[in-house]
Amino acid sequence: MVAFIVLGALLLAAGVGVVTLRQPVHAALSLVGGILALAAMYVTLEAHFLAAIQVIVYAGAVMVLFLFVIMLLNVGSTPTRSLPWLKPVAWVTGLLAVAGVAAVVFMVQRPLPELEVVQAALRGGNADAIGESLFSDYLLAFHLVGVLLLVGILGAVALVQQAAPETRAVATRTATPDGEGAEPRPVLAGEES
Amino acid sequence: MTAHDPLWVTFLKALVLCVVLLGAFAYMTLVERKLLGRFQHRYGPNRVGPMGLLQPIADAIKSIFKEDITVSGADKFVFVLAPGISITFALVAFGAIPGGPAGSLFGLNPWVMDLDIGVLFILAATGMGVYGIFLGGWASNSKYSLLGSLRSTAQIISYELGLGLSVLAVIMVAGTLNLREIVELNIWSVSPWLWPGLLLAFATFLISGTAEVNRTPFDLPEAEQELVAGYMTEYSSLKWALYQMAEYVNMMTASAFISTLFLGGYKGPAFLDAVVPGISEWPIVWLVLKMAIFMFFFIWLKATLPRLRYDQLMRFGWLYLFEFALLSALVTGAVIAFVV
Repeated sequence: MVAFIVLGALLLAAGVGVVTLRQPVHAALSLVGGILALAAMYVTLEAHFLAAIQVIVYAGAVMVLFLFVIMLLNVGSTPTRSLPWLKPVAWVTGLLAVAGVAAVVFMVQRPLPELEVVQAALRGGNADAIGESLFSDYLLAFHLVGVLLLVGILGAVALVQQAAPETRAVATRTATPDGEGAEPRPVLAGEES
Repeated sequence: MTAHDPLWVTFLKALVLCVVLLGAFAYMTLVERKLLGRFQHRYGPNRVGPMGLLQPIADAIKSIFKEDITVSGADKFVFVLAPGISITFALVAFGAIPGGPAGSLFGLNPWVMDLDIGVLFILAATGMGVYGIFLGGWASNSKYSLLGSLRSTAQIISYELGLGLSVLAVIMVAGTLNLREIVELNIWSVSPWLWPGLLLAFATFLISGTAEVNRTPFDLPEAEQELVAGYMTEYSSLKWALYQMAEYVNMMTASAFISTLFLGGYKGPAFLDAVVPGISEWPIVWLVLKMAIFMFFFIWLKATLPRLRYDQLMRFGWLYLFEFALLSALVTGAVIAFVV
């Protein structure tokens, strides 16, 4: 219980940090802290496998890529332009989300499952428990998610290919050993602006 | 399974492990410099103490009393946080490595944590270590640091794929993520048909492990001709020393991890039992010996190979290493499905 309160407080603080910190890198770091606190919470619930995957996938890969983009774009703490309608819309969306969660929590009375049932289903939070249900009960969903990811990858490749044909031309030209930059370099996409 | 230790025992063991690892770090720097000296026909450090044995202590005193500079444009908080992240996760990762059979260390269990997901735990902890490098380079607010950290992050993420896929072959054979069970099973004894796949996995794991700990020929982050010292450029004194510690502790973790996965970890050769009964069950000894082999291998590589160019590094990682690691997983999977 103490662990839950401490971790919950950390998680909330991290969440508040994500939305309030001005510097994007700090906000992203706050999100990483939140992910780690959530993983620790999974550990207290004996879902060890889930905790490890949470850290490896979200903190170790996804957030690193987020930070990568933030750093490459060199985003500062001052917004480049402000949208006047953003603030009211954000308030309305946020309040709606809070109201939705509150409605689910307080209005829907649902008996919680017994502790023994939950523990039996978790089976020590091991990989085989998750693997079994993933590859039997949720096989179709699992495959659909795989297709979705594939579509995402193909889409990203297609977008990059379309946007930068000139950059690829440069890359192949400079790759030749006797290129030496004798020919005039073609203008890169977006360089003329 | 095994009875859990009381919390204070775990705490004490973790403390001892940290102290031992950091002591080993200090003397690994000496061993490395001595060996590099020998490889290059010179003596290496031999002035401080007999055979230079007090050199690490002199180095420690020097780094502590150096001026601790924080660049004026740096992001102060993250600048201090980054080396801490590096060393913390480097030390945490080692905690999951088992040092011997249950209760073999004077009645104690020779490990800090016995996790059912030990393999994933180590991958997760080492994966978090990348933040130390990444944030250190960014917080320094210097072009060299930022370029160095971007490079090394891209490198670590790329080679993590090869690492994960090579581990997959071992996991498929062992059928467990618990490192102790993997050691007890001995993956090589399952079937000779599995050997080609496992050998390939061993090779790809060794290469990507070298890249993960940023050692030559993959020490691009430090490419001093181009980037001064990469992400460490603006660090001095103790914070710099923390990065050095993290690098060596990571090296030790990689050596222990690869020994545990592929070379029987804490188990000694069984034929020695005929000479001294029970010697193959001695805790810690065999693991340390196997780690020493890999540490020597890392230093040997550093003395032998030149550094890869950055595009070569990326091409090698994505076009060769990744494919071979995938092949090892496929071959092992196919053998398990159709032959064994």
